[in-house]
Amino acid sequence: MQKIKSILLNLIFFIQVLLIFLLLFDDRIELPVWLQVAGRLHPALLHLPIGLLVFLIVLLLARNEFKKKAFNKIMLIVLLLTSFTATVTALFGFFLSRQGDYGPDALTQHKISGTLLSLLCYGLVLAFIRKEKYSTLFYGLGLLTVGFMFFAGHTGGTLTHGENYVFAPLSNSPNNAVADADASVFQMAVFPILEKKCFTCHNEKKAKGKFVMTSVAKFKKGGKHGKEWEEGMPEKSRMIKYIHLPLEDDDHMPPDGKPQLSTQEMKMLESWIRAGADFEKKLTDLKDDDSLKIIATAVAASKNNHIEEKQYGFTAAPEEVVRKLNTPFRSVFPLSQKSPALQADFFIKESFESGALEELKEVRDQLVVLNLSKMPVIDKDLLVIGSFKNLEKINLNFSKINGAGLSSLQGLKNLNSLSLAGTDITSESLKPVMVLPALKELFVWNTGITEEQRAKLEAQHPGITVRTSQFKEDKTLRLSRPLMVNEGVVKKGEPVVIKHSMPGVTIRYTLDGSNPDSVVSKMYDAPLKLLVSTKIKAMACKSGWYCSEVFETACFVEGQRPVHVELLTTPDKQYRGEGAKSLTDGRKGFTDVFKEPSWLGYSDQPLAAGFDFGQNPSAIRTIMISYGRSIGSYIFPPMVVEVWGGRNRNDLRLIKSLNVEQPVKDEPQRIEALSIPLEKVNHSYYKLIVKPVDKLPKWHSGKGKKGWVMIDEVFFY
Amino acid sequence: MKSEFIENRFHVTRRHFLGKLGLGFGSVALGSLLMPDLFSGKEELGQTVGLPHFAPKAKRIIYLFQNGAPSQLESFDYKPLLTKMAGEELPASIRMGQRLTGMTSGQKKFPLVGSHFKFQQYGKSGAWVSEMFPNIAKVVDDICIIKSMHTEAINHDPALTFMQTGAQQGNRPSMGAWLSYGLGSENKNLPAYCVLLSRGRGNGQGVYSKLWTNGFLDSIHQGVQFSSSEERVLYLKDPQGRDRKDTRKMLDNLAQLNDMNYKEFGDPEIQTRIQQYEMAYRMQTAVPELTDLTHEPDNIIKMYGADCLSPGTYAANCLLARKLSEAGVRFVQLYHQGWDQHGNIVGEMPLQAQDVDRATAALIMDLKQRGLLDETLVIWGGEFGRTNYCQGDLSKDNYGRDHHPRCYTIWMAGGGVKPGMVYGESDEFGYNIVRDPVHVNDFHATVLHLMGLHHEQLNFKHLGRRYRLTDVAGKVVNGILV
Repeated sequence: MQKIKSILLNLIFFIQVLLIFLLLFDDRIELPVWLQVAGRLHPALLHLPIGLLVFLIVLLLARNEFKKKAFNKIMLIVLLLTSFTATVTALFGFFLSRQGDYGPDALTQHKISGTLLSLLCYGLVLAFIRKEKYSTLFYGLGLLTVGFMFFAGHTGGTLTHGENYVFAPLSNSPNNAVADADASVFQMAVFPILEKKCFTCHNEKKAKGKFVMTSVAKFKKGGKHGKEWEEGMPEKSRMIKYIHLPLEDDDHMPPDGKPQLSTQEMKMLESWIRAGADFEKKLTDLKDDDSLKIIATAVAASKNNHIEEKQYGFTAAPEEVVRKLNTPFRSVFPLSQKSPALQADFFIKESFESGALEELKEVRDQLVVLNLSKMPVIDKDLLVIGSFKNLEKINLNFSKINGAGLSSLQGLKNLNSLSLAGTDITSESLKPVMVLPALKELFVWNTGITEEQRAKLEAQHPGITVRTSQFKEDKTLRLSRPLMVNEGVVKKGEPVVIKHSMPGVTIRYTLDGSNPDSVVSKMYDAPLKLLVSTKIKAMACKSGWYCSEVFETACFVEGQRPVHVELLTTPDKQYRGEGAKSLTDGRKGFTDVFKEPSWLGYSDQPLAAGFDFGQNPSAIRTIMISYGRSIGSYIFPPMVVEVWGGRNRNDLRLIKSLNVEQPVKDEPQRIEALSIPLEKVNHSYYKLIVKPVDKLPKWHSGKGKKGWVMIDEVFFY
Repeated sequence: MKSEFIENRFHVTRRHFLGKLGLGFGSVALGSLLMPDLFSGKEELGQTVGLPHFAPKAKRIIYLFQNGAPSQLESFDYKPLLTKMAGEELPASIRMGQRLTGMTSGQKKFPLVGSHFKFQQYGKSGAWVSEMFPNIAKVVDDICIIKSMHTEAINHDPALTFMQTGAQQGNRPSMGAWLSYGLGSENKNLPAYCVLLSRGRGNGQGVYSKLWTNGFLDSIHQGVQFSSSEERVLYLKDPQGRDRKDTRKMLDNLAQLNDMNYKEFGDPEIQTRIQQYEMAYRMQTAVPELTDLTHEPDNIIKMYGADCLSPGTYAANCLLARKLSEAGVRFVQLYHQGWDQHGNIVGEMPLQAQDVDRATAALIMDLKQRGLLDETLVIWGGEFGRTNYCQGDLSKDNYGRDHHPRCYTIWMAGGGVKPGMVYGESDEFGYNIVRDPVHVNDFHATVLHLMGLHHEQLNFKHLGRRYRLTDVAGKVVNGILV
């Protein structure tokens, strides 16, 4: 006795640890077939611990009938057996959980409660052995155990029989959560099963065993042996018998390797036949306690909760093969981690060769999505594509086909979407694909197909949507402005390029600051050569469009470089740039970032800078100051600019003073050039004084406050 | 008094302890036989990355972020009551102690104000759209308007960061980085995550590179910002005097050197670097093809509006986004700045809408006519909503609105989202949500779900714990799924 007790106790302990371990690594466990058998014993075994627990209660109630020593022995045996069977049941239950399609919430509850129940039973034994016999602890544990027995039993029942199985007959409120009043039981719960697991073989085209399930009439008629079921007698129905044959049996359905029916699905089919295999009966026609209604509701509910992975009748290609097919210009990948179906994309038309398409034959069965958008695919290549018989979606937008080869796609029974936008296909050439059984959407935008032809195609083939553009607008629109390609300061004589991205536009421009005219202004036909900084104004025109707004930019051309530059006043500490160097380094600033080395900013005091041209200066006719305008940010044009000239810093006279025109409203940010023409005198030294606006105008949000000047470059010509 | 229980019942000898221990470990060992990959030496990631967890509805995302927070009350959430009650004080029973920003906390009055712009119902769905968005109104049956978004942040930066990274602090990977990490790239010649910026004419708020950061994920998942200039990817051209052949030769030799280094140190980052060089080389072919607009049919230019030919505009970015997405880029993120109308809604908002309306609708139609809309998820919206009361002075013909986190509107289209649907509802004041609230975490969970990812399973271990885009919350919004 002692030995058996010790062996049993160790065994229970062993299994408990195993169970907890398995539960912790639940999702990484893969179950061998023979353990699946053990799992299926769970529903039988579970009655043992329940019975034993009940017996235990009876024993305790009849405690006084026994001698104390004998009673303890009996108690020990029963306790040990209870714990052992509970533990084994829990373990087998875990094995079972890995095989079926169970609702995740109920399953988790049942798993946890079952495991706890087995742990509690073990605790009960331990308490009994460790001198806690009949103590409060023992009885407490016992009560808890019984409680968990009910809970685990209940959740287990929910799993097999559906929600609220026991009390359903008592509740008055009809359970319509998923029951659609209009749907028949067949439509709602039987058809989806057949569709998912049987249609791949038992359809009009394939009709294995001459049994077609896709239409109700043919489904009723049966296969080569006649009717597939006996109303009311699932056990005599061939269909059900075949489902229950061992997997190895040649007649087992669905065949080995195909997606199998879950226990719930089998039950559903059986109940439906038992109830008379009625095609019309609606769920609402059934009583609430009808087992058919309960299971059908559960089937429909589980369908709603799960993320349904589409089932395919083929197996995945070896990972190695798929990996080898991947190149920089061709991606081949499964639709998801668990899906055997593959998608193939091609990229970069210059690198495309028909051979690359041919190579996909290695995965011809698995290929479901094929994207050849913009690839130079020709009609001959469609022959290869036609051999990928499981294709569901093909994208041939802007490929080089003209439609002559579309008949090669006739074998694609699953093709539901075909994109042919931007190709040379004709309405006539579409004929062979319009009869494809699964085709739902066809994209023919930007082809020669007219709206009438499109409508005709749709009318002739009601199941197919033929799409073109839904954009219909006759309004004439304004073209966008042209652009200057050159950036920064241009070298003398460097070609200045003006560009517009639309083919067929004419660009007209002026260089004198006047607005260009769409007829008389000079037409741009070659890059410009500029000697001094110039304001370019340009516009683009094209027939069928309004001419663009005027594009206006200052093109800065390199001027004479002074020998030495010095700042005579210090810029604001936030906008110090790189000091004096910023003014003549040939680097332009950006309009949106002023805290950057190109810009010098002044607000409290004017900018004063000296430019030394050394001993033999050449004549300077124009000084050009490039400044930023960002009116919203208080950055205004300078108010006054003074130019002083002379031999050196200490010998200067004012040679020019200029008031600058001020903006009268908010305007977009930009960089502007201020051109100051000078008398032709050769000075060695120039001093510039640039005064910021001292009071911002009334219309501005910062009225009365000081303005800023931002200068990024000064040019001398 | 010593506990008798501890004295006796837990009394365990060493022999007993070791015996039990052996038994326990034996059990674990037996259990481990059921785990085929236990000792395979592969790093335990808890998941495989690079493929969707289940077959996805959407394969790619184009996120049209309206930076600055466009007012829901002038765009898609029609509230006639506000016009009726214009000038009246916001009832305390509606405000329910909602905190204010620093910009209106000093305000003594909170006068309600209705939309200056007219609303009308469009399409089969009968969704209300403001007159500022006539083109989006035309595609209203292709989009799903969610009127019940809500967030936790009340200022731009945290709200924007929350929307993009699932956390307000700015140290987490952004949505695009998570998707690049979870799904890998479809086209090896382009980055999986691209970012395009544009600026409108309204009051703007900055965007920063932290919004497209890879955070703690591998740097390969970082968003690549395209330039707004003519040359959209900088430094991609061969320098003067060097042609592609020279580049090839240089890269081959460099790869040899790098490979030697790899053999010596075994650092996987070296391999990543080699691959990145190769990708940049291939981008030299792929990118000019993308940015070349001369082959776009005339009616495409018309559809997006001629602005799409000027680089750096929202329209140009929409067109480029379509081209990138068509070429297999997982996540194209646009930001359009200028939606922060604290004042002058009447003046500024139409300009913003003008920038956005035509090109946005064009993008939807363009994807649809190519057969790509069902696999591309388009998202339009800002970081929060705007208040139903006026900020600053309420005049007869102008007003402003402050930030409002409790309720705002975004919309999605394509990629497994129900078309022609309005989801969720705000109260008559447009202030609180009365039906089907969608938190930012829920929004993220839903987007991941559409891309075939369980938001709870896509995680990354960092600083000792696993992080997710939805962190510890988030529920898939099943109501908007096809």
